[in-house]
Amino acid sequence: PSRAAKVLMVGAGGIGCELLKTLALSGFSDIHVIDLDTIEVSNLNRQFLFRKSHVGQSKAHVARDAILKFRPNINIESHHANVKDAQFNVDFFKQFNVVLNGLDNLDARRHVNRLCLAAEVPLVESGTTGFLGQVTVHVKGKTECYECQPKPIPKSYPVCTITSTPSKFVHCIVWAKELLFAKLFGDKNQDNDLNVHSKDGSSSKLDVFERDVDEDLDQYAQRIYDHVFGYNIEVALENEETWKNRRRPNPVYIRDTLPEAVKQNGSSWDCSNDHEEPSAMASLGLTNPQEIWTLAENSRVLLEAFKLFFEKREKEIGNLVFDKDDQLAVEFVTAAANIRAHSFGIPLHSLFEAKGVAGNIVHAVATTNAIIAGLIVIEAIKVLQDDYKNYRMTYCLEHPTKKLLLMPVEPFEPNPSCYVCSETPLLLDVNTKVTKLKEVIDKIIKSKLGMNLPLVMIGSTLVFEDGDGLEEDEAANYALNLEKVLAELPAPVINGTKLTVEDFQQELSCSINIKHREEFDEEKEPDGMVLSGWSAPVEKQINSNGENKSAASSSSARATDDTVEDPSKPGMKRKLDELLETKENCDASSSAQVVEDDDDCTMLDGNPALIKKKRLQ
Amino acid sequence: VPWNWMHGRAGAKRLAPTSASREQLHAREGGVAIPHLVPLPLLGRSHRRETTASAAMAAAAAAAEPKTKYDRQLRIWGDQGQAALEKASICLLNCGPTGTEALKNLVLGGIGSVTVVDGSKVEQSDLGNNFLLDEGCLGQSRAKSICSFLQELNDAVKAKYVEESPATMIDTNPSFFSQFTVVLATQLPESSLLKLDSICRSANIVLVAARSYGLTGLVRVSIKEHCVIESKPDHSLDDLRLHNPWPELKQFAKSIDICDKDPVVHKHTPYIVILVRLAEKWADAHDGQLPSTRQEKREFKDLIRAHMLNVDEDNYKEAVESSYKVSVTPGISDEIRQIIDDSSSEVNFSSSDFWVLVASLKEFIANEGNGELPLEGTIPDMTSLTE
Repeated sequence: PSRAAKVLMVGAGGIGCELLKTLALSGFSDIHVIDLDTIEVSNLNRQFLFRKSHVGQSKAHVARDAILKFRPNINIESHHANVKDAQFNVDFFKQFNVVLNGLDNLDARRHVNRLCLAAEVPLVESGTTGFLGQVTVHVKGKTECYECQPKPIPKSYPVCTITSTPSKFVHCIVWAKELLFAKLFGDKNQDNDLNVHSKDGSSSKLDVFERDVDEDLDQYAQRIYDHVFGYNIEVALENEETWKNRRRPNPVYIRDTLPEAVKQNGSSWDCSNDHEEPSAMASLGLTNPQEIWTLAENSRVLLEAFKLFFEKREKEIGNLVFDKDDQLAVEFVTAAANIRAHSFGIPLHSLFEAKGVAGNIVHAVATTNAIIAGLIVIEAIKVLQDDYKNYRMTYCLEHPTKKLLLMPVEPFEPNPSCYVCSETPLLLDVNTKVTKLKEVIDKIIKSKLGMNLPLVMIGSTLVFEDGDGLEEDEAANYALNLEKVLAELPAPVINGTKLTVEDFQQELSCSINIKHREEFDEEKEPDGMVLSGWSAPVEKQINSNGENKSAASSSSARATDDTVEDPSKPGMKRKLDELLETKENCDASSSAQVVEDDDDCTMLDGNPALIKKKRLQ
Repeated sequence: VPWNWMHGRAGAKRLAPTSASREQLHAREGGVAIPHLVPLPLLGRSHRRETTASAAMAAAAAAAEPKTKYDRQLRIWGDQGQAALEKASICLLNCGPTGTEALKNLVLGGIGSVTVVDGSKVEQSDLGNNFLLDEGCLGQSRAKSICSFLQELNDAVKAKYVEESPATMIDTNPSFFSQFTVVLATQLPESSLLKLDSICRSANIVLVAARSYGLTGLVRVSIKEHCVIESKPDHSLDDLRLHNPWPELKQFAKSIDICDKDPVVHKHTPYIVILVRLAEKWADAHDGQLPSTRQEKREFKDLIRAHMLNVDEDNYKEAVESSYKVSVTPGISDEIRQIIDDSSSEVNFSSSDFWVLVASLKEFIANEGNGELPLEGTIPDMTSLTE
């Protein structure tokens, strides 16, 4: 079956390299590969088709070339593109006998899932994180689709935890990244929750973060330092209620942490030349990224990084977005997060660790990917032979369970209430009087529902459409609608209204019933709206006494706020403290391990030891 | 030298693609030099700019710290794990697909060195199932070909080979193996494996034997002894010897009045102190014994609760939760007894660090410890005043 089959591989990274190799060795000779990424140094410990000399080049193209070296007679077409691009439409997908995913984010996985359902092409999904991995099979009508079971959505934190009451290091990282860094170096037009008011009301400035005309850079830096770590904390302390049951933070001022800096001006030991990448660590002679700096060292790094941005990278200020590969940005965020952590009595972390948290870095090793690639090909062959009774979901565990390191589980039947493959209406609790259409589209339709280019209709009125090819007046109309609150749209949205939401490319259509609600809990429902109605199948649990217990897992997409992935600190078993807030997407393996506690949760997808559902017949 | 993936620009001249070195290899062998460099079509100026940019990045990357390359795996096993990898030397017997795949993973991860022992030449059938071989290798030593490709995967690894059949090596030169940390034996018949196993055991080398047949296979590890010191265990036991507090703790506990009427002070008395004092009180009333039966433990909890002034006293709740610690059996566990009684704890100059530590532990227990392990020294979180 392998010789004749036409296979699409999505992703040419960790899993992709191993998979392409295994496919070639197994006799597959007609392969398409899509990957939008370019090669980085950190890939080289496992993506073995790439060499140092390839850094910067397209993964898809280089992988293809490497395979052709030892299998010159097979057919590989490589696309350096995003699988979500319009060119990869249902017709494109229809040409394949099977699709194999080697992706690292939830968003793309959902998109491919929908296209495979629309094109009626079987999908073999996979993921790895460190020593954990899994392979799952999805065939329309026969098994669950990839979205039949809710997948953990990237963790987000309540605003007040980030701005006022951090208790974990990750909260400090998010503050440093999304607030301080963004405020100083990012888009000025973006909303930002940092307190911009200064100490003395006499200041003519509206925004204390703005640099005064001709203000000395050192002074500017120190002024900002005192404002965010000193003044803002004092302001927060004034609110007694907040600190009734919490440890009170300590304000930190530059005069205390770096007394000598206040006296001198602009004298840092600067040994960087103009051609090298500016680095505060380099300037200060700090060489070990795994070292935990003192408060003083963190302060020096912060001030130095701050200055270097203005001195050497001025043009980028106003446009910068945090990038984990931007050394100076990582230094800045590490230092800022550490100083804040110090204030709040949270342990400090090294740059290496901070970078992992801030950059959502997933630990990875070659062996797991090799194992998973092998399993993918085995399932692909079964799929090509239509051997549906033998399809298996296989979980590669870190420690043997029931003496198995590779645990096979039979796939489950499709979830009859999956809104993706079984068209179930959803319910949205929202305040229709204050919520804008734009928010619903961003937070629910694009984010939770994973639609790429959605279309929103109320009855027969089209209120929004996304994509190219719109007429000017249409586009203008939609732009207006985005800014309107739901109740004031051309077709008003009130309690009981039904929205129809579609994405043509994904061939997905959904109904959302609106329920008007005035109040939302700031901590538990930070989005100000709640989507529900999509229930995972009822899980039957066998406890140790052998009794059958039914545990219906909760219905809303919101329930998945309890689940996160966790990167690990080097040399240590995963500490559930290291949570991630991620604007990007989930980990490479979209499953992790269930534990308890408020936000320390992860979920093992379909843990075979616990779940017994209806098996595939 | 500052850590920075861009450092070492001076050494950036090293742009030579590794495929070029492969060409040289073939030229020396007198084989046909197949061009391995895939020609890049020239698409005009924009393309050239792109190649320059990526060439610059490649140059920087080539001079980059290895730490960047290993970043993702360092996040699994840390510096120590990486150091252990880099110190290790592996011997692979037979570099067919099984062995090659295994070595690929080790080399990518930065293993110290690999030595391939394989006496065969590359044949047509090898080309079908081994991704490290291509047509240019036909007729050459399989071990040598594999090594040259492995070297490309990671030039920090020392890749060596011996053109010799593993069976012969086992029979005629057993001492060859004592230089290695791990011997990885693939596709060897049982007779060879048995001989190899006894060679490895006596030299205290790890042997990993693997066989693969179509869609099945087996891996078996043979080690004489493997000692693990878990420095960051999942479950740490806060052991403060509440059943037998050391003198300073006793004194400290005595110095605090657990019946202080001031409600703030009362609710901030550390639970350890509460337990030490109440345990003593209990022992006085029970002939020097501490709570041991279920009934007694329950009564002890009631005793603690009786001292609460207020429902919201967290320290007392902590005390009740931890009250079982007072009932811990003194002395050491059976597992520890087993280890310290092992004959290896009689150490000599060739003993490993692990056993030296065990020997010292044994001495401690017999002397200063008075039959108990040394105190761990960590203090758990507890509700208390800052002082």
